[in-house]
Amino acid sequence: MRRLKLIVVLSGLIALLTSVGIAWATTGATTGYPQPKENVPVQVQAPFENRYVLTAVGSGAGIRSGEMKFEFEEGSSPQFLVGISQFYQYGPTGEIETGLFTFYPPKELAGGKGVGFTVLKVGASAQYGQLTEDGELQLFNPEGDTVKGQLRLHGGGPWPVEFKVLDEDERYTASPPAARQIHEAQPSNPGWGGEASEYEGEYKLTNGAEDPTAKAGTLGAVIGVAQGLGVKGAVVSSGSMTVEGDPAVATVELETGGTDRTFTLTKLAWQGDQRVAQVHNEGPDSPPVGRFEGTGGQGVVKGDLISGHSVYKVEFKLKG
Amino acid sequence: MRSMVFAVALGAVGVLAIAGCGGGGSTSGSSSGGGDFVAGAEAACTKANKQIVALGTPQQEQVTQYIEATEQVIEKLHAEVTALGASGSAETAYTEGLATAIPELTKMGNAARNENFDAVRELSAGLVEIHLGELAEAAKLKTCAEVPVSAS
Repeated sequence: MRRLKLIVVLSGLIALLTSVGIAWATTGATTGYPQPKENVPVQVQAPFENRYVLTAVGSGAGIRSGEMKFEFEEGSSPQFLVGISQFYQYGPTGEIETGLFTFYPPKELAGGKGVGFTVLKVGASAQYGQLTEDGELQLFNPEGDTVKGQLRLHGGGPWPVEFKVLDEDERYTASPPAARQIHEAQPSNPGWGGEASEYEGEYKLTNGAEDPTAKAGTLGAVIGVAQGLGVKGAVVSSGSMTVEGDPAVATVELETGGTDRTFTLTKLAWQGDQRVAQVHNEGPDSPPVGRFEGTGGQGVVKGDLISGHSVYKVEFKLKG
Repeated sequence: MRSMVFAVALGAVGVLAIAGCGGGGSTSGSSSGGGDFVAGAEAACTKANKQIVALGTPQQEQVTQYIEATEQVIEKLHAEVTALGASGSAETAYTEGLATAIPELTKMGNAARNENFDAVRELSAGLVEIHLGELAEAAKLKTCAEVPVSAS
């Protein structure tokens, strides 16, 4: 019986990975998700029961294209929608990676604006299949065959998204067409403030967490490696930052899981309280591996330092 | 039938947790018949720590192999410590801590193979909760309490 379950599971995920499975479903999903605590009126959810293709997305999301489907859970009472999507995302070095997500549970947006869902990331193979919370999708009430909304993913966003409803027999044999990239206004003023004296100097990390490897004995090393991974915010135990030079360059030292990492931030820019920079792993002349995006002012800089698949949530304060 | 694939695909998500990933440490092993548990365990930990240090610090694409290699080291350490025959509660707790770590490492390895690095990090919380270093200290195992630190 257990083997049979596994075979069914494997078949399902293989079908999902080929994405055409999204197109075949037409009646109702049997997901195994429990009845949500929040009951969203069926008339609010019903307009969203469709198949979609992503037509536009905020460029910061790093998504090239995608398909999505929402169905009512079969036999649910009161009825609730469950969604699934396949997004094709730009990797840190430009390659396209596939991301599978499900959307559950639904919640009604304030003011009858539409429906929101928690984004759950699906493990990439049937051998694992773990779900992890990875953001939020808000869908605003449809306008014709267009549904606009906003997406939070991997601890970033929100980014605007726009989907087109697909006809019953409209499907893609390969990946869907590239969505239009909506470019957000990016800070362009050099440095991290109007005057160099506002942001140059030595900073200390103020959001350090307890070192998870400290009491782990022989397991400490593997914990250290693992804690430095992931897009939802690697655990940072300690760190510092120095900002100097013209143009300004920031050197960031972080300790994650007992491992010291050094990053160099170039192309520092600001606008209002926004602070951004390009991230390098091996000095300012090495290829960029990610971005720093955050806020700052009055001696404080905080935000997400993205390096490849890892995101470090940092808060720095300029030393007096 | 109309939504079979969608249903199965999403159902998979729930069922997978049940179908689960295998793995688990053996707790079998023969007692050393009153041998020196501390000396034996310390020697085993010295060897294990050296092997882990030799693995270095992996790049992202090497994480799967790194976790697999660590799992093998911990499995061997567990087998060796089990064979020494724990006599007190602290020694037993340390041995059980090693046994608990093995399936956690198996899950982390599976997640790494799927490039689900968020899951690797989240699953590592299971290893943190074991507090293996503290268990080692309580069992008077100084070397076993140390965190192997790689120079690279």
